[in-house]
Amino acid sequence: MPTGNPTEFEIRDWCIKYLARTLELPDQSIDPDAKLARLGLDSANSVYLIVELEDWLGLEFTPDLVFEHPTISDLARYLAGRVAGENGIG
Amino acid sequence: MRVRTASGDRLEPRNSGPKVETSSFVDVLLRRAVEQPNDPAYIFLPDRDDRPVSLTFAALYERARSVAFGLSKQGQKGDRAILLFPPGLDFIIAFFGCLLAGVIPVPMMIPRRDGSRDASAAILADCSPHFAMTRRELVEGARPDLVERFRSTGMDWFFIDAIDAGSAMPRDALSCPTPDDIAFLQYTSGSTSAPKGVIVSHANLIQNSEMIRIAFGNTRRSTYVSWVPLYHDMGLILNALQSFYVGALCVLLAPVSFMQRPLGWLRAIHDYRAEVAGGPNFAFDLCVRRHRSDQMQDVDLSCWKVAFNGAEPVRADTIARFAATFAPYGFDAKSAQPAYGMAEATLLISTGRRGAGPVTRTLSRTALQCHAAVAPTQGEDLQILVGCGRPLVGERLAIVEPEGRQRLAPGLIGEVWVAGPHIAKGYWHNREATNLVFRARIEGEDAECCWLRTGDLGFIGDNGELYITGRIKDLIIIRGTNHYPQDIEATVQDCHPALRAHCGAAFSVADPNGDEQLVVVQEIERTYRQQLDIGEILASIREAITKEHDLAVRKVVLIRTGTLPQTTSGKIQRSLARQMFLAGSLAILQ
Repeated sequence: MPTGNPTEFEIRDWCIKYLARTLELPDQSIDPDAKLARLGLDSANSVYLIVELEDWLGLEFTPDLVFEHPTISDLARYLAGRVAGENGIG
Repeated sequence: MRVRTASGDRLEPRNSGPKVETSSFVDVLLRRAVEQPNDPAYIFLPDRDDRPVSLTFAALYERARSVAFGLSKQGQKGDRAILLFPPGLDFIIAFFGCLLAGVIPVPMMIPRRDGSRDASAAILADCSPHFAMTRRELVEGARPDLVERFRSTGMDWFFIDAIDAGSAMPRDALSCPTPDDIAFLQYTSGSTSAPKGVIVSHANLIQNSEMIRIAFGNTRRSTYVSWVPLYHDMGLILNALQSFYVGALCVLLAPVSFMQRPLGWLRAIHDYRAEVAGGPNFAFDLCVRRHRSDQMQDVDLSCWKVAFNGAEPVRADTIARFAATFAPYGFDAKSAQPAYGMAEATLLISTGRRGAGPVTRTLSRTALQCHAAVAPTQGEDLQILVGCGRPLVGERLAIVEPEGRQRLAPGLIGEVWVAGPHIAKGYWHNREATNLVFRARIEGEDAECCWLRTGDLGFIGDNGELYITGRIKDLIIIRGTNHYPQDIEATVQDCHPALRAHCGAAFSVADPNGDEQLVVVQEIERTYRQQLDIGEILASIREAITKEHDLAVRKVVLIRTGTLPQTTSGKIQRSLARQMFLAGSLAILQ
């Protein structure tokens, strides 16, 4: 049932598309289980990623977000939990 | 005796007070503490909801004396101390504490957790510091790895949050530096394997501060708002020390706060009615890109008189976009003020004048690529150059043919050479590089006069305006930070055995937004041709560059063995490789 909140899968998909666009790589070359550094995400681009996620999800994150959740899969799992939690579901 | 202060105000010296003369930054500190003890000197705005932290001039002086006392108990004058601080006011306290103790501060970026090839090890080997100054909570909390990393250097850790605030250095024991004494070392030049520490004397610092004051038209009321890191020469000299020099308030934001919320910088300018705020070109682009009108409600930027733009090439379209976006909030396009400088000149070499607005010249792009400044003849063959202002008071600037070393006439492109009292004494313990860079002589002119070779190319236009058109030195500037291509090439070649040593080129190209992006061209070993996992190699290269240089590489091009352009003596021809990349004429493997 769609609840209006993005799911873990949707967040993962969004991250893949965003990073492919920003880093100018094909979508299929973005491995969600690879370390973000391996994709070439430097600190400036991780800050921009965090800002985009904040805008989309309506939450605030610390600059350490990407350090603490170093792959797209980790990040999506954590963010889905936060989104659900903030809305009193999870 | 009456004494004139930097800002032109008059000051009665107190009977018991220190002698007030401006021969060193220690004098400036003493004067500020006497003259305006209760004025706020610095305010740090932490991210989000934490409350601002502030220091008056008198409180800063007292804190710095406590630091100086601690340093002098454990060390002696002339010792070096690296400053490793997270964003905040501790850097400032430590810096002035060093000056009062006669210890030489060495600002340094905190090495990143997972990078091992940054300049920090080579900087420590070069200047052999006695002290590593930081906060105890940093090395005991977030970054315990720093202690391990620096263990072999034998430095003493000096925790600024653990000193006894009650015991201050007695006044008569405070260092009284002469103008020639070293104020600090600035390591922003040279590759990561061979960093060069610019020796900035007190005279250099005072002279450049005075030149900046005149060019910016600064007074005590010239409040600053800055997010540029204090270990960056622009963050330190053009922001935090300039405001201090004129007795103004400097409001500091953490660099990451700015990157995350650039409009917060503009709001702080509004809140504190700041007159001066600036940064590298990308900062202005970032504000435009992140502009949201709902986040700019009630912001009035009409107080902002000097929006300086430096540390990377200044772009006309950036200035125009920024002015158009923020004019509705009172931003005056005439306050945009391009600036040019480098650590070897203490900092500033040229800039416009307050309120004059930027000057541009439209030239032929193809002629510029051949280092000639010529008016365009065809409609599309245009490049708009933004002038970097005029030379500063007391400075001489020459455009010189870099091989023959003859002075060139106005309008001709050559290397920018500079002379004046702000030119640093040289590089720390590096006579060869010092002679090469700081002791240049113009053919057929006074042999007594030494010039600084900037390594940048430019010309002097009408009215003495300096235009920077390129570089002789191979240097990549991304987001205001200098990167040396040979460092990046070495990182690439070490990350995978299929990549040929000394057969790669790193350079930058501008993307459609005008942002410089890193490109790497690299030869493959012939023996690996048959067994290549290209995806694996590309990922390894991306990862290595991100970890070691904190850069996102935009394009990696793997090419056939022996096809990278080199000189007959085997030097990499990076600009030719760049041209071939742009023309699509590289022998690409993928």
